[in-house]
Amino acid sequence: MNFNKFNFLILFFLITSSFIHSQVIKNLNSSFESYSAYYLDDSKTGDFSFDKRFRSNNYLNLKSYTGENWNFELQIESYAPSPLLNYSSNFEKTNISTFKVQYNKNKINVQLGNFYEQFGSGMIMRTWEDKDLGINNSIRGLNVKYRINNKINFTALFGNQKKGFKYSKGYVVGFNSEFDFSKITKNDSTFLVGLSYVGRNDQKTKSNFYNEIANLFSARIDYSSSSFYSNFEIITKSKDPIIVFGSVSETFIKNGNAILLNSGFFKNGLGIDLTFRRLENMSLFSEKEAYGNPYNESIVNYLPALTKQHDYSLTNLYVYAAQPNVSFLSKDFMKAGEIGMQADLYYFIKKETLLGGLYGANIAINASLWNNLDGNFDYSNQNYQTDLLEFGEKYFSELSIEIRKKWSPKYDNILLYVNQYYNSRLLEEKSGIIRSNIFVLENTYKINNNKSIRLELQHLSSKDDTKNWSAIGFEYNMSSAISFYITDMYNYQNPVKEKKIHYYNIGGSYRKGAKRYTLNYGRQRGGLVCTGGICRYVPESTGISFSAITSFF
Amino acid sequence: MKKTFFLSFLSLTIFFNQNTFSQDVMPNIYLKTLSGKSVNTNTTFNKNGLTIYSFWATWCVPCINELDDINKEIEKWEKTNVKIIAISTDDSRTKRRIRPLVSGKNWGFNVLLDENQDLKRALNINGIPHTVVTKGKKIIYRKIGYKPGEENDLYEFILKNSSD
Repeated sequence: MNFNKFNFLILFFLITSSFIHSQVIKNLNSSFESYSAYYLDDSKTGDFSFDKRFRSNNYLNLKSYTGENWNFELQIESYAPSPLLNYSSNFEKTNISTFKVQYNKNKINVQLGNFYEQFGSGMIMRTWEDKDLGINNSIRGLNVKYRINNKINFTALFGNQKKGFKYSKGYVVGFNSEFDFSKITKNDSTFLVGLSYVGRNDQKTKSNFYNEIANLFSARIDYSSSSFYSNFEIITKSKDPIIVFGSVSETFIKNGNAILLNSGFFKNGLGIDLTFRRLENMSLFSEKEAYGNPYNESIVNYLPALTKQHDYSLTNLYVYAAQPNVSFLSKDFMKAGEIGMQADLYYFIKKETLLGGLYGANIAINASLWNNLDGNFDYSNQNYQTDLLEFGEKYFSELSIEIRKKWSPKYDNILLYVNQYYNSRLLEEKSGIIRSNIFVLENTYKINNNKSIRLELQHLSSKDDTKNWSAIGFEYNMSSAISFYITDMYNYQNPVKEKKIHYYNIGGSYRKGAKRYTLNYGRQRGGLVCTGGICRYVPESTGISFSAITSFF
Repeated sequence: MKKTFFLSFLSLTIFFNQNTFSQDVMPNIYLKTLSGKSVNTNTTFNKNGLTIYSFWATWCVPCINELDDINKEIEKWEKTNVKIIAISTDDSRTKRRIRPLVSGKNWGFNVLLDENQDLKRALNINGIPHTVVTKGKKIIYRKIGYKPGEENDLYEFILKNSSD
């Protein structure tokens, strides 16, 4: 049996009680999402090598807001006959995924069941749902918020973390406080302070050599005025064992810490943002052994890569993922975290100027640099000592320049140039450095009010790894409801002849109101797939996929 | 047992998707202003007319196109007494781009932050761009996606419903 009696009882209780309680029914809000695929054999990329060709992920969410005070929520998920490729095997068949009862009145907010929460920037704790990546790390337990007024609030929470349809052994406990001291600053500027604590108790792996509990403390300040802002956060993590070759070490036990500094200036069409971040041994899993799992299960804190989030397929071939972990694989491969920075510049060139033309233009420049920590690394004794502000070997750097320009009421385009440096040896445990230059030109032409076409041209040139790629995409928006697309990515310079493969996709979508349906046939490239700064590896596949997204109100 | 459960899942899905029941009230959720202050959706809506909540993110190209297209004729929209609120769903990875971007765009409407997507989740929004229109706190319209020209349809809807 795949679902436990506890879940079944909850379902029974919720459904019967909701039918009895007409208020709940009256205010019911539901949404349904379904993603299915039928995988095919492919003469180029190989036969489908898993057991079920038809796979489907389905999510039914029911919510009810009764009056001002009570909320009920239930999410049922079905992975039948099997989840789509690349989803954790902890998602099995049909089951209750999350449920919640919430009471909300004046200053008090109490949640019982699965809740989502974020303290500060999420670096110390964040639970959220991302169906594309198969992430739902909500905590099942109790969450109580108390707002003294608009300026001071407290949150306390306790529970077990979700992984697939299962829950962690051991618990996560957290406390958060936020204070708004804006009155002591001048004019309309704001000054905020936050303090948080997160404790992780892992009952799954125990030993006399280390504590089950890891304690994390965070302090942050946030200043903001009409054209300038700056925020600073610092986190410490108590001693927690390192995972060495997949098992919890009894001798290699280290502290962790994080520093984040961010400032920005903006005025009249110009915006500048600068970020510095240093992470040392900062990953936190509700079960230590989950370290390095490809599904991002059991992650307690959110440590996204601070690089530009790209929209185009070739700019997403060599993507940086944050490196918060300690990893000792050999004398030449020792990491303790990351240090680096990111800068953004936005500028709007005004209308009716030489460069701006009739409609003006937008320029966005992004630069980022991320390195290993520097210090004394001792492989034979499994230990290290890091320097606070020294940069070690480079992991990744990127420079991108993007210009968006409207040429006429019907035509606009985007020109993007990206230069990337990707240390494949340290990031993927492969060999070498990959340097690449990418050009993208996107054109949109409005035929009339409801019809438009979009053409996307991309090229990546590199002397390293699999060398040059090209990509093309064409989209036809036939009406506000219907659109079609065809895309292709081709690694035309791959040194291995059999790997010169066209990754083509063809499909369409239909949408009306809050409903959307898509159909796609094509070949997916294997490798790192990233959304929102979190990445995971996926194998190559070919097939037909269908999705349906509906919300009702 | 598994089969029974799966079948009940299916029937539940069909049952609830018949649109028999409707939740039509904007939930009360805490959001943040651009400078980080907390505000409740209970206090942000337009008490004397319609409110458009447009869910967007700095990395979402169609979302920004939609807001840009509305902003181009903002004076026309304002005459209908509609309040437009752009709800950013950027998380901590990209939220620092919001203020420089908004400053560069010079948008004439409010921007609020839904950083851990509490409001997005409460409204069962599965993808952005997503537009919700309320009359007082009552939800009267929802739309997923955006293509150039669609802002005119939304404007027509607002015009029609703001006069009743």
